Amino acid sequence: MDIPALQARLDEAKYICGGDVAATLLVALRLGRPLLIEGPAGVGKTEIAKVMASALDRELVRLQCYEGLDESKALYEWNYQKQLLSIQVQMNRRDADELTRSLFSDEYLLERPLLRAIRSEKPVVLLIDEIDKADEEFEAFLLELLSEMQVTIPEVGTIPARSIPFVVLTSNRTRPLGEALRRRCAYLYLQYPDIEKETAIIKAKRPNVGEHLAVQVAQAIHSLRESESILKKPSIAETLDWTSALEALGIRDLTMDAARQTMGFVLKSSEDMEAAGDVLYGQGRGCGHDHDHGHSHGQDHEHCGACGRHQA
Amino acid sequence: MSVYLEKLAEFSAMLRGEGLAVGTQETADTCEILSLLDLTDRETVRLVLQAVYAKSREEQTLFQHCFDGFFVSVEQRDAIRRKQEAQAQEMARRRREAEQDMQVGGQPMNLREDLQEVYVRMSEEKRDQLRQMLEKMQGNLRRSPKLYSNFIRSVFMRFLLEQQMAMEDDAATGSEALDPDMALLYRDISQFREADIPRAAALIAAISRQLDAELSRKRQNRGHSGKLDFRRTIRKGLETGGSFYRLAYRKKRQKKRRLVLLCDVSGSMLQFSEFVLRFIKSMSEVSESSQTFLFSEETREVDPFALQNMDAFRDYVRSSGLFGRGTDLGQALEELCRHRPPALGPSTTLLILSDTKTIDLPRAAQALVEARRQAGRVLWLNPIPQRKWPYMASIQTMAGLCQMAPCSTLEELTRSCRKLMK
Repeated sequence: MDIPALQARLDEAKYICGGDVAATLLVALRLGRPLLIEGPAGVGKTEIAKVMASALDRELVRLQCYEGLDESKALYEWNYQKQLLSIQVQMNRRDADELTRSLFSDEYLLERPLLRAIRSEKPVVLLIDEIDKADEEFEAFLLELLSEMQVTIPEVGTIPARSIPFVVLTSNRTRPLGEALRRRCAYLYLQYPDIEKETAIIKAKRPNVGEHLAVQVAQAIHSLRESESILKKPSIAETLDWTSALEALGIRDLTMDAARQTMGFVLKSSEDMEAAGDVLYGQGRGCGHDHDHGHSHGQDHEHCGACGRHQA
Repeated sequence: MSVYLEKLAEFSAMLRGEGLAVGTQETADTCEILSLLDLTDRETVRLVLQAVYAKSREEQTLFQHCFDGFFVSVEQRDAIRRKQEAQAQEMARRRREAEQDMQVGGQPMNLREDLQEVYVRMSEEKRDQLRQMLEKMQGNLRRSPKLYSNFIRSVFMRFLLEQQMAMEDDAATGSEALDPDMALLYRDISQFREADIPRAAALIAAISRQLDAELSRKRQNRGHSGKLDFRRTIRKGLETGGSFYRLAYRKKRQKKRRLVLLCDVSGSMLQFSEFVLRFIKSMSEVSESSQTFLFSEETREVDPFALQNMDAFRDYVRSSGLFGRGTDLGQALEELCRHRPPALGPSTTLLILSDTKTIDLPRAAQALVEARRQAGRVLWLNPIPQRKWPYMASIQTMAGLCQMAPCSTLEELTRSCRKLMK
């Protein structure tokens, strides 16, 4: 597979990206290296893993990281209660050594996502999501898996991977990741898409939306992201939600009223909503496109900063 | 393959020289991927190499810079070589001129080599200033050669030192152009313009959230310490007929820490202090149990509410009578050591925000020794860029007495705050 072929598969899966993303994905895939993706929240980091699973026709195994995540939740855990019951039931029926050996067999092993990924017969896509939320100890624990593609269970020994998974790690940079982890990965930094790309995403994901509205939404979202006063920048998912909301209301043109009615799909705090007023509805802003105003200048009118259109 | 490898090894060495953590594995990886994909397009090669070599956004910026310098066409390389040769000739000419200029009464001035190099690299306009000064002094020099040759030498030295610092500043700010998004993070806080302040405030809020997240991760209750709590396990076992069906673990004990901030708000320090206080106060750990003292020639304990926003802070400093006065660090530290109830103790970290410029330096040094004895830890945040430290005697003195961290930029401030949390 080469870069255009991978990009074509990503396009088929409706993931719109540039050549840089496709090139990095291919490098990671061909070298069998984990891919570390960083970038602001909502740029499509997690989506890459999902799309790669679909493009490569592999199962997606997901590990969501959080504070306090340890190997018992990520790799394996012995079913202690079952072991205890087994000891009590079989205490007088079996040889002690045999019983002990049987306690550390697959029957009592609770497989968690990492173990599942490397014990799978068919290669999978392993998504380790928001690794920055996990503790530093967990990051260190991952090193063996990422560099050697094997894990060690003290009671069983080292388990090498049956198939090499395509590992995707995502991070929002809420804390700096260790050098050791970075060195083992190929690296990709995702940024918010530009207006053109975001329009293409809207059209790919919401095919019923008209070209005009898609451009208007993309421009408005771009203005919001560019603004210093908006603290939580809208994600691509929120762009799509907003478009869906506009579509559901039968809106074909993003007027000031339409934007006001549906702004809750884009911004999720009252401070940002207030600031959006200045960004989108502020006087003198516009998209620069020609519109048929339908009124003469000098009349009282409303002005939508999202599209630069005036309303009588 | 071997041609690839040789070139890539050279490129890896270049990246290593620029500070990227590049090992042999990366070189082998790039070699493998280039031969696998058989790439010919320069931009695609750039993307592929970047994915392997650059492991963070900051490294990507450095990588771009190196790639453009290394992978050039033959024509570009010739043009660069011609330019470099012309520059070398120009420098040789300037050095010859400098040797002639830096003479007093026909004798060489014997300035340090690095200062001679500064003279060579200085603009023609600046060199003319020195030449004119030398011209004006010729009469005096003839009358009293010994006295005036020393004077001229000292004027030259001072002027060249100032130029050296200015050149270092220019070199530091030049890197900002590589990534405008990150410019603010690396710009000297004292150089922030009015228009930068809202962006800087948003950046501070983002970094504080990041530090807070790291802090909560350090503080949070991580389930158990790994040690079994026998007493609780046995008690729980009673519920299940004596089987230890549910195990109980001991919890980790938390260490309590206190922070005392001693903050210089004399004229030159005000803008810096505003930013640092805003930064530190927004970290929830610190604001939980901290005391803040502001000082110039006097010391005042500050009400935490006055630090909630920058306007309130400015108003407070102006109305307190501390603004626009000199700096007496010795007095401030002595007062802090005498404070009742005691502000400093073994579980206290004393954080001093000051540029070390103070009246009566020996007294300040003595007071710092006493403060260090009383407090568990002393950390000094200095807004003067680290490259200028060797030129300042007060910094040399104070840095020898406590742990001093540079924080002239928001990036340095972040690093210092991480150090503080450890």
